[in-house]
Amino acid sequence: MSKTLGNLVLFTLLLAACDYKPRNQGKVLYERNCQSCHMESGQGLGRLLPPVANADYVLEHRAELACIIRHGISGPIQVNGVTYEGEMEGNRQLTDVEINNLVHFILVDLNKQKEHFVINEVRNQLEKCSSTR
Amino acid sequence: MSRSKWVLPLGMMFLLVSCGEEVKKELPVLGPYKVVDEVVDGALVTDTMFTTVRPFSFTDQDSNEINHATVEGKVFVTDFFFTSCPTICPKMKQQMLRVYDAFDGESQLVLLSHSIDPIRDSVGRLKDYADKLGIQSDRWHMVTGNRDSIYSMAKHYMIAAQVDELAPGGYAHSGAFLLIDRNKQIRGIYDGTSEEEVDVLMEDIEWLLHE
Repeated sequence: MSKTLGNLVLFTLLLAACDYKPRNQGKVLYERNCQSCHMESGQGLGRLLPPVANADYVLEHRAELACIIRHGISGPIQVNGVTYEGEMEGNRQLTDVEINNLVHFILVDLNKQKEHFVINEVRNQLEKCSSTR
Repeated sequence: MSRSKWVLPLGMMFLLVSCGEEVKKELPVLGPYKVVDEVVDGALVTDTMFTTVRPFSFTDQDSNEINHATVEGKVFVTDFFFTSCPTICPKMKQQMLRVYDAFDGESQLVLLSHSIDPIRDSVGRLKDYADKLGIQSDRWHMVTGNRDSIYSMAKHYMIAAQVDELAPGGYAHSGAFLLIDRNKQIRGIYDGTSEEEVDVLMEDIEWLLHE
């Protein structure tokens, strides 16, 4: 009996694991929340909107990405040698897990980073910026 | 029969068709029209008169007056946007930039983008936006002007644009691109946020330039 139950639990976990694809969710979140300005491949637009793909700013500010996504950012900022003066509003509707998946997509898919972003890293970042704002 | 078996014969048919003599594409004339009876050489002739784009006058990013004379005898593409628009405008401008780049050196094509936010979008601000997009005003005019004139022009082009405090950025508007021929008749409406539709627009521009 317990073995059957154990198998059932394992099976359910496996099913759930199949469904959980953080990168896929990150991509969907990117399309819904970021793409209209940062464009479909993260390339940005001229000197109006900064790229988030292959962007030095993303890698140099890796520890701030979660907070920037949640609380927004005001220019001027330098990305790949170009100054951008615009303003990005925050995305307060996104949960910690969603921001984690989004950051994961931006780092791994758009900036060819190998390391996986750890959920705790994002949580810690978000805790820091929630107290300062 | 599986679907994949159809792919090859269908593909070959397409190839055959495309190898044949190119058939001239007929673009419809869009918009309101009226039917008029005229007497030509003593005979009664019934003719359909389509509405043409009416006169207008706005100011572009280099402070030049842009009016109906600017587009006289030329093909033009027009849209409505505002520089602080957080939703569809960047995509529209990315796509309009494709048209701008594809027709580099084509003096018979004019691009005309109207700002629906004349309060914030001053000439200076449009200039700054155009510079950052990397475009020249001789082929792509970003215009501002009297608010009522801009909105009434949008309505005239059958493009939805309105002040909406609930919409992101304060304005609600359509992302449509309109294609207008040398006779100032509307010949196509495209979703300016869709790469596929802008591909069709660019084909249609070619047709109109050689019409």
